[in-house]
Amino acid sequence: MKPSLAPLLPKEDAREAALFFVVCALCFLACLSGLVARSAYSAADEWTNRVTGQITIRVKGDDAAVTRAVQLVKTMPDIVSARALDRAESEELLKPWLGATGVPADLPLPHLIAAEATPAAANSGGMGQRISLTLQEARVDAIVDDHIVWSKDIKRATDSGGLIALVAVGLLGAIGVSVIAFATHATLLARRDIVELLHLSGAKDNFISSLFEQRFLMLGVQAGALGALLAFGAAAFILFVVKQSDQQIWLLPQLSLSLADGLILGLSPLISGIAAMIAAKVTVMRSLSDMV
Amino acid sequence: MTFLTGPSGAGKSTLLKLAYLALRPTAGRVSMFGVDTSRLTRKDLAPLRRRIGVVFQEFRLLDHLSAYENVALPLRVLGQHERSYRDDVIELLRWVGLGDRLEARPATLSGGEKQRVAIARAVVGKPDLIIADEPTGNVDEEMGERLFRLFRELNKRLNTTVLIATHDLALVRKARTDVLRLADGMVVRVPAPAEPPPASGQGPAQ
Repeated sequence: MKPSLAPLLPKEDAREAALFFVVCALCFLACLSGLVARSAYSAADEWTNRVTGQITIRVKGDDAAVTRAVQLVKTMPDIVSARALDRAESEELLKPWLGATGVPADLPLPHLIAAEATPAAANSGGMGQRISLTLQEARVDAIVDDHIVWSKDIKRATDSGGLIALVAVGLLGAIGVSVIAFATHATLLARRDIVELLHLSGAKDNFISSLFEQRFLMLGVQAGALGALLAFGAAAFILFVVKQSDQQIWLLPQLSLSLADGLILGLSPLISGIAAMIAAKVTVMRSLSDMV
Repeated sequence: MTFLTGPSGAGKSTLLKLAYLALRPTAGRVSMFGVDTSRLTRKDLAPLRRRIGVVFQEFRLLDHLSAYENVALPLRVLGQHERSYRDDVIELLRWVGLGDRLEARPATLSGGEKQRVAIARAVVGKPDLIIADEPTGNVDEEMGERLFRLFRELNKRLNTTVLIATHDLALVRKARTDVLRLADGMVVRVPAPAEPPPASGQGPAQ
């Protein structure tokens, strides 16, 4: 006959089922917030990379003035490329304002030059002013826009969105830890008979604490995994809906379910479990220190 | 083996709690195994507690564990692997007459059976001192006598000091052993009663 050993703490009760649900829900929300934070930062980076170094020059004059301006800008230091936009490209730029029906053939369009500066020059600032001065000296009437002002605004906005999402993740994490600490305390009180018996049997605090730590580590990992799975499902659903409707909302963060997102979803159960374990340990050790 | 007697409210349980280190003195000195317990840190008390086996009046068995698991509890606390103690625990349960109740949960055991499981749990770690608080308080007279014989055998077999708090004077009279009487905050040693002990040779739990 080989009697098997049951765990020293009784198996889960209704209290732990409720805690499982709460941790799962918190993890779900934290994962979604994490995904939004990552996509916000990613959108900010993408916008910065897309806009940094891009310079648009509107030339007031005929085609000869445009050709002259292109030549002048091309020869400037720190300029990677410069080229005049043809009518089709200009019409494409006007589409958001004039609609897809096209621009009337007799409507005069501004002469535009698209130039690109090296990232170092673009980041150091003043590139637009230098081009403006060069064109002025050559008596070419032009307006130069290096997009610095509005790109900074966009980056600030997307960074703020990411920061808010990160704060939400932090807040949800703190709520989760508090809930687990509260639940551990409740479990500890409910199982005081066991704790006292173990204590009087000569169990060290770490031994007693480890029983609760193991229990809550497993609970945190399992609830976190379910929460992450649900968050994955929700993100996939949002992606599916966005792709079906073929609506790309510019400037807003886009969920992507990339490798980084996978990392967020994959690490969440682990972080949830470790947070639960630490919360349980701190609570148990504090309670035990009140005993003789 | 020593009995601790005294009227209700005299402080027997408090004295025992001080002895098995569930309480620490707010004044005065309690010395266990030659060590002043008031000078020890919490951490240092755990090894000392392992030298003491306690039989609680209300048994304090864990309901979700079997009789076998309840007895094995102090050894699990020590981190011993089950392989190393399985046979000893089974043998101990056989010795207290519960060899066929290894898997029984406390809820299915009678008062006397629970108390025997509690005694086996107190003994399994081979402690230097066994403390029993009113061990016959929740069992009938016959079972009380059987438990007493069990304690006596423990005392002889393991050469372990046994301290039993009881208000069962009939049991004390039969024991013919040292008696400490606690009254008015004083512990007084009183002579052993003259009545002879129960006949030897009887098994503790047959």
